[in-house]
Amino acid sequence: MRGRRFVGAVPVLAGLILGLVALGPALKPGFVLRYDMVFVPDPPVMWQVSGFPRAVPSDLVVALLSHIAPAQVVQKLILVGIFVLAGSGAAGLIPGDRPAPRVAAAVFYVWNAYLAQRLLLGQWALLLGFAGLPWAVRAAARGGGPWRLALALLPAAIGGFQAMLVSALAVLPVAATRPGRRLRGTLEAVAVIAVLSLPWAIPALLSEAVTDPAGVEAFAPRADGPFGTVGSLLSLGGIWNAEADVPGQSAWWLATARLIIAVIAVAAFVLLPRPLTGGQTPPQAPAGDDTPPQVPVSGEAPAQVPVSGEAPYRAGLLLAACAGLVIALTGAYAPGMLKSLIAWWPGFGPLRDGQLYIAPLALVQAIGFGLFTGRVCRPEEGRGGVRGGVVMTAVVAALLPVLVMPLFAFGAAGRLVAVGYPEEWRRVQAIVNGDPRPGALLSLPWGAHRAFAWNGGRVILDPATKAFARRVVWNDALAVGLGRGRILQVAGEDRLGRRIGAVLGTRTGPLTAVLRAAGIRYVLIVRQNENTFRSRLPGAVPAFVGREMTLLRL
Amino acid sequence: MVRVLAALVVGVVLAIGASISVVNVVAPSPQPPNKPLYNYGNR
Repeated sequence: MRGRRFVGAVPVLAGLILGLVALGPALKPGFVLRYDMVFVPDPPVMWQVSGFPRAVPSDLVVALLSHIAPAQVVQKLILVGIFVLAGSGAAGLIPGDRPAPRVAAAVFYVWNAYLAQRLLLGQWALLLGFAGLPWAVRAAARGGGPWRLALALLPAAIGGFQAMLVSALAVLPVAATRPGRRLRGTLEAVAVIAVLSLPWAIPALLSEAVTDPAGVEAFAPRADGPFGTVGSLLSLGGIWNAEADVPGQSAWWLATARLIIAVIAVAAFVLLPRPLTGGQTPPQAPAGDDTPPQVPVSGEAPAQVPVSGEAPYRAGLLLAACAGLVIALTGAYAPGMLKSLIAWWPGFGPLRDGQLYIAPLALVQAIGFGLFTGRVCRPEEGRGGVRGGVVMTAVVAALLPVLVMPLFAFGAAGRLVAVGYPEEWRRVQAIVNGDPRPGALLSLPWGAHRAFAWNGGRVILDPATKAFARRVVWNDALAVGLGRGRILQVAGEDRLGRRIGAVLGTRTGPLTAVLRAAGIRYVLIVRQNENTFRSRLPGAVPAFVGREMTLLRL
Repeated sequence: MVRVLAALVVGVVLAIGASISVVNVVAPSPQPPNKPLYNYGNR
């Protein structure tokens, strides 16, 4: 019993330790603010969606949890939880009860370019789905009813649309190809995914959001090392944003080592399907038994050994990994196809960021790396017991993912740090949220992203979009640098935002009446253009004037 | 024995590579990070 507990606890511990090492300075008091990762103190509990519901229901869950613990504590628990959940989940997919392959799988799944780059892009909600993916795959492969799958998909459901899409990509093929009741399992999986997707799917259909096909070019996978886009994707990198790269990631020797490990891991997943428990012969299933055979995992009685010796998720997960890779490569090499699809129906918009769909490939590689480690570190026949050499080999193998991407440590060498919001933000938040009269808040300057000195100049989504208990009108158009000073503008999705943007950009003269007519009650101006813009708002009453922010009431 | 030696060699080589990478990144760079500041990102 103690041995099983140990085997189960080691991957959890590995995920926790690596999470603490990776986050490092981000775990100090304060908020970690980077790109899409914007947490604010005392976030309002509200269900109002403008444009495509990207932060639904993740922001609402954070707001609710912030009533139990401070928002910064909630953020840190989520970030550390991602590592623990991911590591323990990946380990749970390794057949057998030997700790070395399980720890190796856990280390690989929490320390890879995919997780690191998405974290540096601030996409914690997607990473909730990534962390829950092994659990969802396991539930889909084992069957056991919709409730088990629903529980496993809960992190993805909280994360929202990206997390659910990535999970669906893996869960459906696994359910459809597992031994046993495939049709029933597939229908159950479809139903569970559909129900858990309702919180964002309904607002998405009602939002009248539009998707600019130009986003395909902006968000296509790219080469982040010497092996081109394909090599980068196989190494689980290839994100579109160069500033989400892990420091030192593109060094040829590390990129080469990562690619070699990736190829070995995929080969091991394909070629080493049998449980590595050491010479046991699988029993034959009774005639007429259609219950899904299951892989023995740590902590479970090995009563149901797979009839074929294969893990029940193997075919489905491999299919999902291939499909994800094809989606990513389509964005890179056949963008016209994606543009046509998005122009035909904006619902294809989520495919434009194709690199995110290689999450099942990351899981394939993690399991393959675990299997490979198990094969390399198996005790020599006839000698019995665990020898020092085996332990040393296992330790080196388990540390390989860290050694080939060392600068993910300590907040990716300082990219992820915790900072505090200036007092001005809290005062403006109190004024706006304390006002019972309705009306939206217009956030200026008219751009989606900010780079505050108090946040070390790191680019973040405008915090105003999360801080106020009323509709915030902001410019959700995205500007992506293409090199040599060229900027690609991806049009915004929120129709009201587009209308206000047109007014701000084309009209001259007073704007007070126009903005009031559009339902704007507050105008928040952060530093830039303050003097210029205030002159265009005659009759506006300053509700707060500080060094960084000015709040005007119309 | 061969496996242990191979593991040691691989481990040492990668540890040296990782150390070089850390030194390269940590060393002062004339280019400021995160530019341009107001873009969602660069490609």
